[in-house]
Order: sequence, then structure tokens, then C-alpha cells
Amino acid sequence: MTYCTVDAIYFKDKKCTIDQDECVECYVCIRQKVCPRNAIEPSPLDTFYKEFKHMMSDPVENHPVTGVTGRGTEEVKTNDVSGRVRRGQVGFSIDMGRPGLGVYLRDAEKVAMAMCKVGVELAPAEQSPLAALMPDKSSGKLKADSLDTRLLSVIIEGHCREEKLKDVLLALRKVEKEIDTVFSVGLILRVDEQGMNNTLRCLDELNIPQPHRGKVNVGLGRPLVTD
Amino acid sequence: MYQAKGINDIGIKPKALAFIAAAEAVGSENWGDVKTGPVTRFSSAEVREKISDKSRIRGVFTRGDQVIGFLKKIKEQDLGMSVVITGVLTEVLAACKKAGVTPHSINYSLGVWGSKDKLPDEVALSVTTMCGHHMIPPKFVKHIMKQVEAGKMTPEQGANRLSDFCYCGIFNQVRCADIIRDNV
Repeated sequence: MTYCTVDAIYFKDKKCTIDQDECVECYVCIRQKVCPRNAIEPSPLDTFYKEFKHMMSDPVENHPVTGVTGRGTEEVKTNDVSGRVRRGQVGFSIDMGRPGLGVYLRDAEKVAMAMCKVGVELAPAEQSPLAALMPDKSSGKLKADSLDTRLLSVIIEGHCREEKLKDVLLALRKVEKEIDTVFSVGLILRVDEQGMNNTLRCLDELNIPQPHRGKVNVGLGRPLVTD
Repeated sequence: MYQAKGINDIGIKPKALAFIAAAEAVGSENWGDVKTGPVTRFSSAEVREKISDKSRIRGVFTRGDQVIGFLKKIKEQDLGMSVVITGVLTEVLAACKKAGVTPHSINYSLGVWGSKDKLPDEVALSVTTMCGHHMIPPKFVKHIMKQVEAGKMTPEQGANRLSDFCYCGIFNQVRCADIIRDNV
């Protein structure tokens, strides 16, 4: 159907049906009032994972632990005051399922585990909703009962020393062939006054094109983190 | 405009209103608060009225001089809130320099990895990815394009309808209208 972000609405025998396993509870169909007979109602968020699914897939909601809307993370957006990524570090914002394919948590787990194996320290649960599903954050492994949960997207957030960037990119290049969805890769770096960071040179060694788009935190937050 | 949890996230409404005034003064084409919606769908007064400490204010500029003017106004007021400008890096960094602001950190986009064969076509993606939370269904983009092709709506009307789906107000309906026009 035209109006579903993840193709979970089917038209059969003159009737529309929502596949509850495929639905990510993004509420686009409800908010846009797409049913001419007003027949779509939110299904009860009566389990932890149904509620988690809705919190992650509907950007209007604030995540209950991190307190942040969107996917519940601040990433580079407030780095000038949070200091989440410091000089000498590389931050990662791996946006699983984006753009638009959605993601089963089993695939997010594969990517998170691959990153942890090469030394990425994942962001804690107070900053990153996905970490709340990890009994041991150092492994990236998720709770077994979460793996069949499908979300519109979820961000794997973490950081490592700049020297390890090449290893992490190689790990991502390997694991991208082992998953059934896509992910958008964001590298978060502190930059000099010209907006440059030489760490990106290692992309050339891996034949990864130099980035020409990005999100620039322009350093107007206070108190400013300077290291 | 972004508030950081536990740092500067209390009593943000006056600062949010100052950001909105600066954006409107330079002619921002779209803006909104994710908790209420974009000004393409809701009135500016309604979005302003409903701002709370949980709000996030985002907007769109289509020209470099708008970005420079906006950054100058925000810097002058020293509101202390985080500001992120997203776009082509050479253009954004040049605007920062002209506005006299110093970039702190950058989230560099290395593009899409994984099962890219499952993605919708490039035209649909060029529209849907303008909403970072992917609230715009690719099939709805195709539907709108067919409506425009059939003469049932203009590219601008189609772009405005699509912008309703992106609650942040970050969807660029001006660029979207151009994409529709170029592809029907």
C-alpha cells in the first residue's frame, strides 16, 4: 500500500490488512489519517518490545531512558557541550535500516558485535537505546528474545581511538555482506578551525570515497567542550 | 537547535523562539518542531505555542546567504544551544567561515552500506532521504508523481503534501518540487 513506510499494509479481497510482524509502529498511517473509513487504530503496546519498537520508529516520541526524540540519541548534535567524542577519538553513528528498509535486531546485533570485536566501545544505555538491550555492552550481543523485533531504524553508537578507524571500517565492510538490510555510516570527528581532520586519510587506503556531505556542529553550545 | 540532556535542556522555549525568529528573518522555507509538526502543515503560531523542553526545532535553507545570515544572528545572541548545519561540506564550511563561527565536530556521511539492491530507485530515495527519520513511504512518492503527471496537482502541491509526513520540518519541499518536475 502507498502509505506504509515499510510495506506492512496489504490489500486483499477488497480489504486492507496490517501485517503485525512487519509493522514497525511508526504511526505514519495513523497520523496521516490514510484510511478513508478511519479504521486504523494503534495496536496496544502491551509488551516491552512493542513499546520499544514504537519508541524507536516514531520520532515524535521521547525515549524513556535517554529522554531524546528521534531515535533516542544525541550523537554529533550536542557534541560541543556533551563531549561525547573527544580529540583523538572517532565516533560512530551506524544507522541500521536507514534509508527506509527497516531492520530486525538480529542484523543490528551482527553489526554491533563486529564493531565490538575490533575495539569499539559502545555508548551506554543512558545515551543509546540499543545498549539497554545488551546484557554485556562490551560484546554488542543483544538479549535473545529481542532479535526478531523489527524497527524502522536504530542507531548503533560508539567510539574508538583514531588509530583503530581502519580496523572498524574493514569490519563493517565484512559484516555488510552478512545482513539483510542496509545501514548508513556516520563518522564523528572533532575538527580543526577549518573543519578538517586528517584521520579521514585512511579512507583512501580502503578505496572509500572521501565524504562530501555531513552534519556540522558549529560550536555555539555552552559550556563549550574544548578537548 | 538542540538541547543536551542534563546540560541545557530546561526552559528552552525563549531560546527556541529566538531560533525560529532568526530562521524566519532569513526566509527559511520550512521549519518545525518534531513534537507538533512542520509549518507546511501547522500554523507558525501553533508550533510556537506548543514548544516545550522536549521540542526539537529544525528548518530548511535553500541558499548559502540564508545560512550565513542565520548563523550570524544566532552567534550574536549567544543562546548557548547546539546548532547543526547539514549539507554539502564545502558549502557548509564556507558558510561557517563567512558567518564567523568555528566548526566543533562533524558527522561525516560515508553513505549507505549493506543490501543496497533492496533500496527503492534513486528518484524515490532522493525525496525520502530528505526526511532523516524516513517517515515518507517511497510508494507515496511514486503516487504523488503520478498525480502530478496526470495533471491533478502541481509539483509544488505534491511536494507540500510529501512535506506533511516529515514532522521535524527538515524536509526541503522546494528541492522536492524540482525533483518531481524533473522526473515526470
